[in-house]
Amino acid sequence: MGLRSFIHRLTAPKPLTNVSLAENLKMIFIVNHELKMGKGKIAAQVAHAAVKATLACGERNPALLDAWFKTGQKKICVKGDSAKHLGELSNEAKEKGILANKIHDAGHTQIPAGSFTVLALGPCRDEDIEEITGDLKLL
Amino acid sequence: MSALSEPPTMAFLCRADLQLSAGKLAVQCAHAAIGSLKQAKKTHSRMVQRWQETASRKICLAVDDEEDLMYFLGLVEEASLPHSLIQDAGLTEVAPGTRTVLGVGPAPRHTMDHLFSELKTYD
Repeated sequence: MGLRSFIHRLTAPKPLTNVSLAENLKMIFIVNHELKMGKGKIAAQVAHAAVKATLACGERNPALLDAWFKTGQKKICVKGDSAKHLGELSNEAKEKGILANKIHDAGHTQIPAGSFTVLALGPCRDEDIEEITGDLKLL
Repeated sequence: MSALSEPPTMAFLCRADLQLSAGKLAVQCAHAAIGSLKQAKKTHSRMVQRWQETASRKICLAVDDEEDLMYFLGLVEEASLPHSLIQDAGLTEVAPGTRTVLGVGPAPRHTMDHLFSELKTYD
Protein backbone atom coordinates (compact mmCIF):
# COMPACT_ATOMS: atom_id res chain seq x y z
CA MET A 1 0.00 0.00 0.00
CA GLY A 2 1.35 3.43 -0.95
CA LEU A 3 1.64 6.23 1.57
CA ARG A 4 -1.18 8.22 0.01
CA SER A 5 -3.66 5.38 0.00
CA PHE A 6 -2.64 4.53 3.57
CA ILE A 7 -3.36 8.07 4.71
CA HIS A 8 -6.58 8.05 2.75
CA ARG A 9 -7.68 4.89 4.50
CA LEU A 10 -7.10 6.53 7.89
CA THR A 11 -8.79 9.83 7.11
CA ALA A 12 -11.57 8.94 4.67
CA PRO A 13 -15.07 9.00 6.15
CA LYS A 14 -16.36 5.54 6.94
CA PRO A 15 -19.25 4.51 4.73
CA LEU A 16 -22.36 3.16 6.41
CA THR A 17 -21.85 -0.54 6.82
CA ASN A 18 -24.30 -1.83 9.38
CA VAL A 19 -27.58 -0.73 7.96
CA SER A 20 -30.76 -2.06 9.44
CA LEU A 21 -34.06 -2.21 7.60
CA ALA A 22 -35.71 -0.10 10.26
CA GLU A 23 -33.68 2.86 9.15
CA ASN A 24 -35.24 5.69 7.19
CA LEU A 25 -33.17 5.74 4.05
CA LYS A 26 -33.63 8.07 1.15
CA MET A 27 -32.05 9.41 -1.98
CA ILE A 28 -32.31 13.13 -2.59
CA PHE A 29 -32.14 14.94 -5.89
CA ILE A 30 -31.30 18.62 -5.84
CA VAL A 31 -32.32 20.25 -9.10
CA ASN A 32 -30.56 23.38 -10.32
CA HIS A 33 -33.51 25.75 -10.45
CA GLU A 34 -31.54 28.53 -12.12
CA LEU A 35 -31.62 26.64 -15.43
CA LYS A 36 -35.40 26.83 -15.90
CA MET A 37 -35.67 23.35 -17.41
CA GLY A 38 -39.01 21.91 -18.50
CA LYS A 39 -40.65 19.12 -16.49
CA GLY A 40 -39.67 16.40 -18.96
CA LYS A 41 -36.10 17.62 -19.05
CA ILE A 42 -35.89 17.66 -15.25
CA ALA A 43 -37.32 14.15 -15.08
CA ALA A 44 -34.72 12.81 -17.54
CA GLN A 45 -31.89 14.51 -15.64
CA VAL A 46 -33.11 13.13 -12.32
CA ALA A 47 -33.35 9.67 -13.88
CA HIS A 48 -29.71 10.04 -14.98
CA ALA A 49 -28.79 10.97 -11.44
CA ALA A 50 -30.75 8.05 -9.96
CA VAL A 51 -29.01 5.52 -12.19
CA LYS A 52 -25.59 7.01 -11.51
CA ALA A 53 -26.12 7.13 -7.75
CA THR A 54 -27.49 3.59 -7.67
CA LEU A 55 -24.55 2.16 -9.59
CA ALA A 56 -22.06 4.11 -7.47
CA CYS A 57 -23.67 2.88 -4.25
CA GLY A 58 -23.67 -0.68 -5.58
CA GLU A 59 -19.90 -0.46 -5.92
CA ARG A 60 -19.12 1.34 -2.68
CA ASN A 61 -21.70 0.02 -0.28
CA PRO A 62 -23.90 -2.84 -1.56
CA ALA A 63 -25.44 -3.42 1.90
CA LEU A 64 -26.73 0.13 2.00
CA LEU A 65 -28.12 -0.13 -1.53
CA ASP A 66 -29.87 -3.35 -0.64
CA ALA A 67 -31.43 -1.86 2.47
CA TRP A 68 -32.62 1.14 0.48
CA PHE A 69 -34.23 -1.13 -2.13
CA LYS A 70 -35.95 -3.18 0.55
CA THR A 71 -37.38 -0.14 2.26
CA GLY A 72 -39.12 1.09 -0.87
CA GLN A 73 -36.27 3.11 -2.42
CA LYS A 74 -37.55 6.44 -1.21
CA LYS A 75 -36.63 9.37 -3.41
CA ILE A 76 -37.31 13.05 -3.06
CA CYS A 77 -36.72 16.03 -5.26
CA VAL A 78 -35.83 19.51 -3.97
CA LYS A 79 -34.84 22.87 -5.43
CA GLY A 80 -31.27 24.21 -5.45
CA ASP A 81 -30.47 27.84 -6.31
CA SER A 82 -27.53 27.53 -8.68
CA ALA A 83 -24.61 25.41 -9.83
CA LYS A 84 -22.52 26.98 -7.05
CA HIS A 85 -25.11 26.08 -4.43
CA LEU A 86 -25.22 22.46 -5.67
CA GLY A 87 -21.43 22.30 -5.53
CA GLU A 88 -21.41 23.46 -1.90
CA LEU A 89 -24.03 20.91 -0.92
CA SER A 90 -22.02 18.20 -2.64
CA ASN A 91 -18.92 19.10 -0.61
CA GLU A 92 -20.85 19.17 2.66
CA ALA A 93 -22.31 15.74 1.91
CA LYS A 94 -18.94 14.26 1.01
CA GLU A 95 -17.46 15.50 4.29
CA LYS A 96 -20.11 13.50 6.10
CA GLY A 97 -19.39 10.41 4.03
CA ILE A 98 -22.60 10.65 2.02
CA LEU A 99 -22.39 9.66 -1.64
CA ALA A 100 -22.71 12.64 -3.96
CA ASN A 101 -23.14 12.31 -7.71
CA LYS A 102 -23.24 15.24 -10.09
CA ILE A 103 -25.00 15.28 -13.43
CA HIS A 104 -23.82 17.58 -16.19
CA ASP A 105 -25.93 17.85 -19.30
CA ALA A 106 -24.61 17.16 -22.77
CA GLY A 107 -26.62 20.17 -23.93
CA HIS A 108 -28.53 18.63 -26.82
CA THR A 109 -31.75 20.36 -25.79
CA GLN A 110 -32.93 23.38 -23.81
CA ILE A 111 -29.70 24.34 -21.96
CA PRO A 112 -25.98 24.97 -22.68
CA ALA A 113 -23.63 21.96 -22.79
CA GLY A 114 -21.94 21.12 -19.52
CA SER A 115 -24.59 22.71 -17.28
CA PHE A 116 -24.66 21.26 -13.78
CA THR A 117 -28.29 20.10 -13.68
CA VAL A 118 -28.80 17.72 -10.76
CA LEU A 119 -26.97 16.61 -7.64
CA ALA A 120 -27.93 13.22 -6.20
CA LEU A 121 -27.17 12.57 -2.53
CA GLY A 122 -27.43 9.19 -0.88
CA PRO A 123 -29.00 6.79 -0.29
CA CYS A 124 -28.41 7.76 3.32
CA ARG A 125 -30.20 8.10 6.67
CA ASP A 126 -32.81 10.81 7.02
CA GLU A 127 -31.14 12.32 10.05
CA ASP A 128 -27.72 12.44 8.40
CA ILE A 129 -28.97 14.42 5.42
CA GLU A 130 -31.45 16.62 7.31
CA GLU A 131 -28.73 19.12 8.28
CA ILE A 132 -27.65 19.60 4.69
CA THR A 133 -30.91 19.66 2.77
CA GLY A 134 -33.49 20.21 5.52
CA ASP A 135 -34.33 23.77 4.55
CA LEU A 136 -34.55 23.23 0.80
CA LYS A 137 -38.00 23.46 -0.77
CA LEU A 138 -39.68 20.51 -2.45
CA LEU A 139 -39.80 20.77 -6.21
CA MET B 1 -26.56 6.93 -39.97
CA SER B 2 -26.76 3.18 -39.51
CA ALA B 3 -28.88 1.72 -36.76
CA LEU B 4 -25.82 0.57 -34.86
CA SER B 5 -24.22 3.98 -34.65
CA GLU B 6 -27.29 5.42 -32.98
CA PRO B 7 -27.17 5.55 -29.19
CA PRO B 8 -29.58 3.21 -27.38
CA THR B 9 -32.34 5.07 -25.61
CA MET B 10 -34.46 4.75 -22.52
CA ALA B 11 -37.93 6.28 -22.72
CA PHE B 12 -40.33 7.35 -19.98
CA LEU B 13 -43.99 7.44 -20.94
CA CYS B 14 -45.61 9.90 -18.57
CA ARG B 15 -49.33 10.43 -18.08
CA ALA B 16 -50.13 14.01 -18.97
CA ASP B 17 -53.63 13.84 -17.44
CA LEU B 18 -52.27 13.52 -13.89
CA GLN B 19 -50.63 16.96 -14.07
CA LEU B 20 -47.88 15.90 -11.68
CA SER B 21 -45.52 18.51 -10.25
CA ALA B 22 -42.00 18.58 -11.66
CA GLY B 23 -40.52 16.94 -8.58
CA LYS B 24 -43.11 14.19 -8.40
CA LEU B 25 -42.73 13.40 -12.09
CA ALA B 26 -38.94 13.35 -11.78
CA VAL B 27 -39.07 10.87 -8.91
CA GLN B 28 -41.47 8.61 -10.81
CA CYS B 29 -39.12 8.62 -13.79
CA ALA B 30 -36.17 7.86 -11.51
CA HIS B 31 -38.09 4.84 -10.17
CA ALA B 32 -38.85 3.75 -13.72
CA ALA B 33 -35.22 4.17 -14.81
CA ILE B 34 -33.90 1.94 -12.04
CA GLY B 35 -36.69 -0.60 -12.49
CA SER B 36 -36.24 -0.93 -16.22
CA LEU B 37 -32.46 -1.00 -15.92
CA LYS B 38 -32.63 -3.82 -13.36
CA GLN B 39 -34.72 -5.89 -15.74
CA ALA B 40 -32.62 -5.02 -18.77
CA LYS B 41 -29.44 -6.11 -16.99
CA LYS B 42 -30.85 -9.63 -16.79
CA THR B 43 -32.24 -9.92 -20.30
CA HIS B 44 -30.45 -7.33 -22.46
CA SER B 45 -27.03 -6.95 -20.82
CA ARG B 46 -25.19 -6.01 -24.02
CA MET B 47 -27.68 -3.28 -24.77
CA VAL B 48 -27.22 -1.91 -21.24
CA GLN B 49 -23.47 -1.90 -21.70
CA ARG B 50 -23.73 -0.03 -24.99
CA TRP B 51 -26.20 2.41 -23.46
CA GLN B 52 -23.83 3.19 -20.62
CA GLU B 53 -20.86 3.58 -22.94
CA THR B 54 -22.76 6.11 -25.03
CA ALA B 55 -24.69 9.00 -23.55
CA SER B 56 -27.24 6.90 -21.57
CA ARG B 57 -29.81 8.75 -23.64
CA LYS B 58 -33.14 9.27 -21.90
CA ILE B 59 -36.30 10.89 -23.12
CA CYS B 60 -39.65 11.81 -21.57
CA LEU B 61 -42.74 11.31 -23.71
CA ALA B 62 -46.32 12.28 -22.94
CA VAL B 63 -49.26 9.88 -23.08
CA ASP B 64 -52.83 11.15 -22.64
CA ASP B 65 -54.19 8.89 -19.89
CA GLU B 66 -54.07 5.45 -18.29
CA GLU B 67 -55.72 3.76 -21.27
CA ASP B 68 -53.06 5.18 -23.55
CA LEU B 69 -50.34 4.06 -21.13
CA MET B 70 -51.69 0.50 -21.09
CA TYR B 71 -51.91 0.47 -24.88
CA PHE B 72 -48.20 1.25 -25.12
CA LEU B 73 -47.42 -1.27 -22.38
CA GLY B 74 -49.00 -3.86 -24.68
CA LEU B 75 -46.78 -2.79 -27.59
CA VAL B 76 -43.68 -2.87 -25.43
CA GLU B 77 -44.48 -6.35 -24.09
CA GLU B 78 -45.11 -7.59 -27.60
CA ALA B 79 -41.71 -6.27 -28.66
CA SER B 80 -40.09 -8.00 -25.62
CA LEU B 81 -38.39 -4.82 -24.49
CA PRO B 82 -37.30 -4.39 -20.88
CA HIS B 83 -39.74 -2.14 -19.06
CA SER B 84 -41.04 -1.08 -15.68
CA LEU B 85 -44.52 0.20 -14.92
CA ILE B 86 -44.57 2.47 -11.90
CA GLN B 87 -47.55 2.38 -9.57
CA ASP B 88 -47.44 5.10 -7.02
CA ALA B 89 -47.82 4.40 -3.31
CA GLY B 90 -50.18 7.37 -3.28
CA LEU B 91 -48.79 9.26 -0.31
CA THR B 92 -48.91 12.57 -2.18
CA GLU B 93 -50.71 14.06 -5.19
CA VAL B 94 -52.34 10.87 -6.56
CA ALA B 95 -54.45 7.96 -5.27
CA PRO B 96 -52.65 4.79 -4.11
CA GLY B 97 -51.95 2.39 -6.97
CA THR B 98 -52.15 5.03 -9.67
CA ARG B 99 -50.09 4.02 -12.68
CA THR B 100 -47.94 7.04 -13.41
CA VAL B 101 -44.98 6.25 -15.65
CA LEU B 102 -43.81 3.45 -17.92
CA GLY B 103 -40.04 3.17 -18.32
CA VAL B 104 -38.86 1.35 -21.45
CA GLY B 105 -35.38 0.27 -22.48
CA PRO B 106 -32.57 0.79 -22.99
CA ALA B 107 -33.37 -0.28 -26.52
CA PRO B 108 -32.20 0.72 -30.01
CA ARG B 109 -33.26 4.21 -30.87
CA HIS B 110 -34.90 3.20 -34.14
CA THR B 111 -37.08 0.66 -32.29
CA MET B 112 -38.21 3.38 -29.89
CA ASP B 113 -38.84 5.85 -32.71
CA HIS B 114 -40.92 3.25 -34.46
CA LEU B 115 -43.00 2.26 -31.42
CA PHE B 116 -43.56 5.76 -30.10
CA SER B 117 -43.58 7.79 -33.32
CA GLU B 118 -46.95 9.38 -32.49
CA LEU B 119 -45.95 10.58 -29.03
CA LYS B 120 -44.71 14.09 -28.24
CA THR B 121 -41.98 14.90 -25.75
CA TYR B 122 -43.28 15.83 -22.31
CA ASP B 123 -42.74 19.48 -21.49
